[in-house]
Amino acid sequence: MAVIGIPQTQIHRLPQYRYVDSIRWLPSVSPLQQSAIVAFFDTDADTPSLEVHSLDQESRSLDLVSSWVPPSRISSLKCTQAFAVASTVSGSLHVFSATEAQDPSPAFRSVVSADGKGFHVGRIAGVDLMGCGSNECVSVGEDGRVNLVRVLDGSYRKVFDGNGLVSYTAVKWASPTEFVTGGCGFGLQWWDLRRPGSAVAQFKGNLGKGRTSGIIHSIDVHPSRKHTCLAGGSAGTVFAWDLRYQHQPIILSGTGNDTAAQPLSESEVWEVQYESYTKSSMNNFSSSKLLPAMFCSEDGILGVIDQGEEPTELLAEPCAINSFDIDRQNPSEVICSLEWESIAIVSRP
Amino acid sequence: MPGLAPGDSAGGVPDSVNGTLVPYSSDSHVSAIYPLRHGLNPPISRVSVSWGRGNSLRVSVFRQPDSDPKSDGEVGGRVVEVTLGKSRDGEISDAQWRKIAYGSVSPFALLQSRKNSTASLSRMQLSPSPYHLEWWEYVMEYSKDISSLLGDPKTALAPLIEDPNEVFPKKVEEPSSLKAAWELMEMFYVDKLSQAWLPERLVDWLADYDSLISIDLPTVHSKLVEFQNQIVTLQVIEDDPRYWDLISSALAVGWLEIVVKLLRLHGSYRLDQLGRRETENGLVEAVAVLISKMPRMRPAIDAGKIGECFKAKPDFVKAWERWRAQITKLDSSAFWVQCDHRQTREGLKNMLQIMLGNVDVLCSSTCHWMELYISHFLYIRPFTAGLESMYSLAQKCIRLKHTSNPHKLMRLMIGILGENNEVVLAECSRGFGTWMVAHAIELLTAGSNEADILVHEEREDLGGISLEELHRLVYAQLLSSHLLTWQIAPIYLTSCMRQGMGLLEILLLKQPVQENQMLLKNLEICRLYELDGISSHLMEISGMYHWKHGRKGCAVFWLQQAHDEVRLSRIASQLFDSVGKSISGESFKQWEGLIELLGSEGQLAGGLNFLHKYRDFKKCLQHAESRKDADAARQAVESLMSLMRNASTPQRFWLPILYDAVKLLSWDEGPLINVSQTNLLLNKLQELSVARLRPDFVEPELPTQALNHVRYSLGTNLGRAILGEL
Repeated sequence: MAVIGIPQTQIHRLPQYRYVDSIRWLPSVSPLQQSAIVAFFDTDADTPSLEVHSLDQESRSLDLVSSWVPPSRISSLKCTQAFAVASTVSGSLHVFSATEAQDPSPAFRSVVSADGKGFHVGRIAGVDLMGCGSNECVSVGEDGRVNLVRVLDGSYRKVFDGNGLVSYTAVKWASPTEFVTGGCGFGLQWWDLRRPGSAVAQFKGNLGKGRTSGIIHSIDVHPSRKHTCLAGGSAGTVFAWDLRYQHQPIILSGTGNDTAAQPLSESEVWEVQYESYTKSSMNNFSSSKLLPAMFCSEDGILGVIDQGEEPTELLAEPCAINSFDIDRQNPSEVICSLEWESIAIVSRP
Repeated sequence: MPGLAPGDSAGGVPDSVNGTLVPYSSDSHVSAIYPLRHGLNPPISRVSVSWGRGNSLRVSVFRQPDSDPKSDGEVGGRVVEVTLGKSRDGEISDAQWRKIAYGSVSPFALLQSRKNSTASLSRMQLSPSPYHLEWWEYVMEYSKDISSLLGDPKTALAPLIEDPNEVFPKKVEEPSSLKAAWELMEMFYVDKLSQAWLPERLVDWLADYDSLISIDLPTVHSKLVEFQNQIVTLQVIEDDPRYWDLISSALAVGWLEIVVKLLRLHGSYRLDQLGRRETENGLVEAVAVLISKMPRMRPAIDAGKIGECFKAKPDFVKAWERWRAQITKLDSSAFWVQCDHRQTREGLKNMLQIMLGNVDVLCSSTCHWMELYISHFLYIRPFTAGLESMYSLAQKCIRLKHTSNPHKLMRLMIGILGENNEVVLAECSRGFGTWMVAHAIELLTAGSNEADILVHEEREDLGGISLEELHRLVYAQLLSSHLLTWQIAPIYLTSCMRQGMGLLEILLLKQPVQENQMLLKNLEICRLYELDGISSHLMEISGMYHWKHGRKGCAVFWLQQAHDEVRLSRIASQLFDSVGKSISGESFKQWEGLIELLGSEGQLAGGLNFLHKYRDFKKCLQHAESRKDADAARQAVESLMSLMRNASTPQRFWLPILYDAVKLLSWDEGPLINVSQTNLLLNKLQELSVARLRPDFVEPELPTQALNHVRYSLGTNLGRAILGEL
């Protein structure tokens, strides 16, 4: 019955003395190096910055590699194998080369930028970049606009202009021609660029009787199951919406849940991502079962939800966890930004 | 009037007459200039100034409204924030203060909840179980948690090859006076276990913080640092009088390991001299050995420090007497005569006098009164005495080594020794800020009933609140003044019985709601403290903000969340204006999202769900028209009737709806609308004709003959329907 030698989950908390708006892992250039791109906001100097830090493997500390000064605070940040894309609260979008940003130079620069009156009015709420093959970046805003930016030259085109009658708060590509947006009232919209003009499918946010409505904060689509999207939002809500069964959302977590499992969180779920690191054996994966999902919340929980099982808690902080990212190359490592001006790195055994 | 300064009678006019409240001197009246970086092109027509968060001013700068239509790229105005003054002293930066503030939330909250559960236990008159900790032990845990936040003056890892000249261990972090103050309070008020060896704890405290205690005068620490830098340049160290001075000083304050290290630098240890200076070396070594054997009344000693520890007083007394006897014996030894080196002989003799507790030598070897005080504990009375005698000893030391400008730590120390809780609180607040008072009150009250009464007594002059509540409120105010720390203010406010909740409500209502993320964080706090009224108020504010900025969807969402029927209806009438203009058959796509948000029947929408029905009607109509589908047409009739029956359908839409319905009225395959339905529509038309005479009627944008056309169609349909029903 010896419990010796079972590796423990290690948690490193790194105070930053600046607010962390968003954080992502960068694809590493060498297998021995891990780096992250972090959007900071220094309240003392009232200046935002976007910085690339490399993670020291031994001391688990962050070392500044290079930085860039955005025109205003970063509202959304995403990374793919080749590019990093950041949007600002003043309505501009900036694309960076992921490898160039990791060069040990004091500063890096954006490959292309898009802004202006025709682009977005005010805060861009969400951006996303398709992993490979596609070179278009989608951006959505509270102004109700949906734009596509070409990574090659920075030109953009309008997919939809809601004129403020709708607001979008999150976006995620499903395939090179399809993406999902989310907004107020737990609404989800499925867009297909081959059928322009409006969304091809809509989820009206009806999660069942007695549930409070809220805002979608984050969406994820797994590359192997493009018909299902995972969404997280207010009141601890995490649910999946399958295009094939549009009127039956699968609620994974949330208040007023009928399932016996107590939800880990009852506050805002700021981010959800499909979990790519799991110990359950492969035969457990049937195509009808949802893949496990990780989420972080306002009440300081970083947890994993697996359909039909008790949720597990990876981290419980006294303050909000505002964003997190799973390292795609090394999925046992999760990096989180905490409300109290710090970063946490969770290394699972 | 408590704020009135004593009158200056020299001018003949008392201050209360000319109305000044504080002494006024013109030279303190220096104006500061803060440049504004608004980046606007002149001309600037208007500037408005208001208070922002904390000590910042919000300055709104407006340009002249542009008459030139070509330059529309220019911004009309901008709001900039100006932070006034530097907020704190330089020892701890703002960012570090915030880290301390964040870190102290959890220990504070834990202690409060323990306090509440202990109180409820005693109210139920249950005896606490024997496994329960004493209250001071909980406070001790709290104190340790907080203390670890304030920095860790640990020494760096020992290098592999030790530099023989490095006397002083390097510190990783500079010691902070905040931590020093915290440790003092913990030592005197909380830690019951160490009461028996309080003197030794004070020795350790001074060893950590000697560098802080004096502002302008030298201390043993500063002299040692200075000497350390010169050691390398000294050829014969024992010839330098400063060497012996410093050894005595270090010995006097009990830094034994440094003394031994310094002694071993003595020239007689060198191999080439050992032969000639054998006796001298023997004496030096004898003193070093005696020092390292010094009995200490303490449970244990840190690695690297020297002395022999004794827990029990009788054992200690025995060892102490034996040790003193050895010193006396060495002092009267015959070897001193054989020692040729005068400085060595005198220096060592001087050290023996220190160890024997010679007051004059102790006094001349120390710099600061605190150092002299500590040396008393080490060599004259190593036992804990009551605070009263400790205080009188401190007074004596201060008389001997007077400083005109005492450091804040020393003022706190005197307050503690003088058992004057009010002074301690005042010094905490004056020297270490609001954070310190709010948190150190827990230490002060841990073991003393008197202090407990002092801080919990409700005071008339404070508006009925206690000192504890006052200090927490002040600290919470400070927290709320910063963009990043306001979220932790509620923890402190809710621990205030009288005014906490009221101030919390004000705080929450004052937070900016422009960004959804900030608003949601705010609402989360409302949820935690069950402030539903505040939360719907915030949602209303946010809804109106979004509405004004053209984000109609967001506005409707927040007003729906707030169940604000009144505002939703008001918004509805404005929305209908734009519907009338923009919904012309095809352009429903833009409205789709908003209509979905409004939801179907039964949900709260304040008249807005008319839009939902109107959209359905339009859709069916379109279907019916394009496909000539009778089923769709029948559905369209159903929606038409429900629209016209529903009281929430605005009158201004009646005619457009009826005009659209003409297509249904003139359906080729027979009448779709039966007699009673047609009658209802005719009644509505009649009502409309009457309403048109009223001055506030809004004429819809339709062809002029629309009304007649509808009337004619309705009449025709009535005829067809009557025939059909026969």
